[in-house]
Amino acid sequence: MIRQILVATGLALTPFAAMSGSLTLYASAEDLATEGFTAPRLTRDGWALEFTRITARFDQITAWQTDPPFMADGPRISGTPLPLDGPFTVDLVAADADHRVALVTVEAPPGHYNALSWAMVADEAIPALVLEGVARKDGTEVAFSLQTSEAIAHACGEYLGDTRKGFVTEGAGADLEITLHLDHLFGRADRAPDDPMNLAAPGFEPFAGGGVQAFSLDGLHLGHVGEGHCHDTRL
Amino acid sequence: MTRGYRLAAFALCLAAPVPALSHAALVTAETATAIRLQAGYDTGDPMAHAQVRIYAPDDPARPWGQGVTDREGGFEFIPDPLPGRWSVQVRQAGHGAMAYVEVGAAGPVSLSTATRPDRVQQAVMVALVAWGALGTALFALRKRGRGDASS
Repeated sequence: MIRQILVATGLALTPFAAMSGSLTLYASAEDLATEGFTAPRLTRDGWALEFTRITARFDQITAWQTDPPFMADGPRISGTPLPLDGPFTVDLVAADADHRVALVTVEAPPGHYNALSWAMVADEAIPALVLEGVARKDGTEVAFSLQTSEAIAHACGEYLGDTRKGFVTEGAGADLEITLHLDHLFGRADRAPDDPMNLAAPGFEPFAGGGVQAFSLDGLHLGHVGEGHCHDTRL
Repeated sequence: MTRGYRLAAFALCLAAPVPALSHAALVTAETATAIRLQAGYDTGDPMAHAQVRIYAPDDPARPWGQGVTDREGGFEFIPDPLPGRWSVQVRQAGHGAMAYVEVGAAGPVSLSTATRPDRVQQAVMVALVAWGALGTALFALRKRGRGDASS
């Protein structure tokens, strides 16, 4: 696994000086992964979480130029594809100052890459997603390792965030981001209890027994592109 | 002086040049063609006071303007006379959506709007609801200079 992580990082550093443009793909579980769930942003059921490792395995990745723009309203994207391949296994806790981990950089024709398809999948040795760390509440401390091997395909529209992304120009690079929203799994105490996210999120209480436990991604919709949505399909 | 003469004199006074004073308030009004958007959730709640960013067709990577929706989730702006795809991003507390408005000679066509509803996320809908001469309609738009727009 470590070797795969190093390979992904090395690819990201490959220079593309002679290319028309490049596209770098990052993955992030945001500051909730790197900083954890801390007060007032506890889980919806009041647990503080500190992650030591969040391993995600991404595969079947393609960036797309779509016109009209793909609106994440179905599983199929029509447009001009740019394969980014995979698989890439990364630790989302070991992220940069922007809470991102570089997966790959590829040569890219100029244009606006306004859609992204990707899958989170396991292989025989590596679950699709593993979250490890320590949970604390009212003096109780629980070490946990939550794992899922469910495979989910994502068809996402344009990245949504502080900066509009994906514009590759001649001689310049651009980036896109796979984003996992951990609050869809654990909920957030700083949101209203009847917030749709909190109503759907299991929280941490089902895992409070600690140790290695399996969980299901069904209905959680962790996968995003920034704040932009994805259509997800169980594989 | 008859009433008619008094009115004429008063009108001449109004039309006469006014010396430029440092504290003079100048107000101009004109009609303009604007785009009106409506942003809301599938629950029926408006996206009140949500952040709005507008991207022009000729520089889609940098905000052309930004503002905030009103308490009904409405937002209006007057685009430059520039045909092509105007993109509008509306975000609030982790929810967001892009809307694309194709502006041509015949007027705008809304290409899109929404994210889908699901159990976790409220759907966000940004819809083009009006295009026309909205006159002096209120619009919360702070237009940025091309040089200082963040990207």
